[in-house]
Amino acid sequence: MPSTETSELSPVAPPKSPSRSRWRSVGVLVVLGAAIIVLLSQGILHSLNYFETVDQALAQRSSLGTKVIRLEGVVKPGSISRTSNGASFVITGSKDRQVFVDAHGSPPQLFQADIPVVVVGHFTSSTSLDFEGTQILVKHTATYIAAHPKRVKAPNGTTR
Amino acid sequence: MIKQLSQRLLGPVTLLCLALTFWLGLWVTPPDRVQGNLVRLLYVHPAVAWVALYVSFGTATIASILYLWKRTRSFTMDRIAHCAMEVSVVFIVLTLITGSIWGRPTWGVWWAWDARLTSTAILGVLAVGYLALRRANDDSTLRARRSAVFAILSAINVPIIHFSVQWWKTLHQGATVFTSNRQLLVHGSMAWTLLLSFVGFTLLFFWLLRARYRLEVLRESTQQMMLDEALLLRQREGVM
Repeated sequence: MPSTETSELSPVAPPKSPSRSRWRSVGVLVVLGAAIIVLLSQGILHSLNYFETVDQALAQRSSLGTKVIRLEGVVKPGSISRTSNGASFVITGSKDRQVFVDAHGSPPQLFQADIPVVVVGHFTSSTSLDFEGTQILVKHTATYIAAHPKRVKAPNGTTR
Repeated sequence: MIKQLSQRLLGPVTLLCLALTFWLGLWVTPPDRVQGNLVRLLYVHPAVAWVALYVSFGTATIASILYLWKRTRSFTMDRIAHCAMEVSVVFIVLTLITGSIWGRPTWGVWWAWDARLTSTAILGVLAVGYLALRRANDDSTLRARRSAVFAILSAINVPIIHFSVQWWKTLHQGATVFTSNRQLLVHGSMAWTLLLSFVGFTLLFFWLLRARYRLEVLRESTQQMMLDEALLLRQREGVM
């Protein structure tokens, strides 16, 4: 009498058809395409060029009106004053072009004079150079320098 | 002999490099003039991004090209591409997480939809898509061919990520190491520690890749063994 193990001669499932694989691949590609479109639309909606510089904004001043934009410039030293709901300061572009910013909300940890910032907001009127900001973003540079260089004096007189 | 020695040393050397990087990065190097102690993320984020974009995705792409090229076509290449892409997913996720942690105190936001960040997120989706595509195909030859083509097409995004900070205005800073004028913008001991972090994380990638590759070989041989056993059993059934 055959054992139970050997008597189980149930038919083997046929190999999966290539068309099934193809449809699954198409499904993956469709989902992937949709995910990329969502990400791209976010990127494009928020514009590939993330901000307008002060120079660009002033050059397009009439067309910008009071539209919400991201404005980039360098914080002018000595211009920062803390207000009850945020900070006001002046940002500069090239050739000393300036925009006065009154921003609401707490600025980021690195916010300080002489640092590039991006301010989200709008000009207060279609002709004004005053900018009302709702958010300050700090755009730090790629340069890294020690905070206290030349603080230690070597016996030979050199500093390091 | 040399191969065996290098394989044995890969793990300890990787750990040594990473331990040195963290020691230098956390205790020896000075704080930055602008960023203060936040600069210590410089010894993690750029190196992780380097591995994610260039080393791991590059390895996957080169292995895919070699698979598609008739002269070098073998399942070893397909396996390398697969394992490198899996490790790449880990490093892309780490890139996005460490970048986000750095972005919050410096920029003031966790995330910005600028060209650099968006294109990196797309690379992550493409890497996950590659792995999904592999699972969707049962036939090994078809799977290898389709995923190789997909990896090569996905690699188009890598130069877009690299040049995004030059082509468009981004909140993300410009290149730190690979600047257009070949000038390193990191000073003193910070530069050496940065360099060491690149070496450490690159070695970590190859260590992980080697471990993943061995695991994949074991998995395949186990599957083959099970198949052989099943066939043998069927043969015996036929005889009886």
